[in-house]
Amino acid sequence: MKVKQSLKHELIKLLKKTRAWLGPILVFILIMVAYPLTVELTNQSLADAFFPVLFISCLMVMMLATEGIFLEDYEDGSLEHLLITGGSIYQSVFIKILVHWCFIGVPVSIFGALFNIGVGNTVNSSILLLPSLLVSTYIFLILFCFGNSLSLTKGSVLGTLITMPLLLPMLVILGKLTTAIMFNINYFGFLILLFGILSIIMFIFPAIISKIIKTHLE
Amino acid sequence: MLREILIIVIKKFIHQFASPKTYFYQVNRIYPWLLYISLAIYLTAIVWGLFFTPKDFVQGNSYRIIYFHVPASFIAQSLYAAMAISSLVYLVWKVKLAAYLSRSIAPVGATITFIALVSGSIWGIPTWGTWWEWDARITSTLILFIMYLGLISLHNSFNNFDKADKLFAYLSIIGFVQIPIIKKSVDWWSSLHQPASITLTEKPAIDAVMLYPLFMAIIGFSGLIACLVILSSKVQIYKREKTKNWIKNYV
Repeated sequence: MKVKQSLKHELIKLLKKTRAWLGPILVFILIMVAYPLTVELTNQSLADAFFPVLFISCLMVMMLATEGIFLEDYEDGSLEHLLITGGSIYQSVFIKILVHWCFIGVPVSIFGALFNIGVGNTVNSSILLLPSLLVSTYIFLILFCFGNSLSLTKGSVLGTLITMPLLLPMLVILGKLTTAIMFNINYFGFLILLFGILSIIMFIFPAIISKIIKTHLE
Repeated sequence: MLREILIIVIKKFIHQFASPKTYFYQVNRIYPWLLYISLAIYLTAIVWGLFFTPKDFVQGNSYRIIYFHVPASFIAQSLYAAMAISSLVYLVWKVKLAAYLSRSIAPVGATITFIALVSGSIWGIPTWGTWWEWDARITSTLILFIMYLGLISLHNSFNNFDKADKLFAYLSIIGFVQIPIIKKSVDWWSSLHQPASITLTEKPAIDAVMLYPLFMAIIGFSGLIACLVILSSKVQIYKREKTKNWIKNYV
């Protein structure tokens, strides 16, 4: 399949299921709305603890977004069909992740930056936050796709269990980034580090995922 | 000519040793030697360390748990590396024995990591005044523990051993990125845990009186863990090869 055709294919598949792309975004908004309700203190403490909540909820939403991401294709045989007709699973996986990021990762990042203003942080910090959120949601998506491809037929709990340990170094970097944004020191260093991680795993992980899917199809 | 013969001999040796049957019999032969020698070394190190080394200037007697904690945490990481390497061997050369080995290392590794965590927190009470701290080294070791458990649960959730072995191998190789992070966590982040006292490149920061028993403890402990891995791999071979004739004859 050509890239354009594959892209169209994945787009139609995702957009047909409104629940699959709108659901995670709505869950994210609900978490963000629920957060101020749980804090009864002043506005300042709301703003202080916002970044950790934001990152963890991004993580959880990406987990929801990738739930059963390959399962439907596996069960209706389109993955097997792709393999038999000599199509590239690598390309299919890469485009699938990209499409999911465009329809879930990007809106979630934008809403996250908006809610950051909502809890009383400065607009400047939101502008700094947005690119790091865009990159980190992509990284989360790729890694959760990896976990879900491993536990393809066994549900996403197992997939999450084996992916979370791999994601924790990412959360450490995001934690460092929070301090960098707040005091505006060394921010670009961390952003470039995130870009570096993304540029490595963006191309390597689809290859690994396609190998794993081939193992499942044997 | 000579080179070709040598290559043939080496290949034959590797192929022979890679068959579970030969491995089983060879391992049975060396197992008692390994067990008793490493037990002797470890006990000597413990007696030496506990009774014949001086008190630490700052920590007093409580530092003596080093003869247990350091070998355990060292081996917890090394076992993961061993598991990843044998997974790589399985994926590249399709050696079945490597898959059995990597699967049998996982539960041993989980146990040792747990021991390292517990002994570390026991050491933390008199020294740092807290038994747990959300600190780089401790948290990353906890992650390693969860990683081991995740690997085991991944393998157990598939009935098809071939598929389970392959998926296990992929995950353990990807999970290897954690090991340098754990290793370097004390240098990269400001941490309560001290940096490594013994490194390959620099002079050890620990006094020779305490260093020699520590080295002996590490060697002895590694031997004991190797015995555990051998036992665990024998269980795996029993499980996987139970339909083969030689196993029936052996039993």
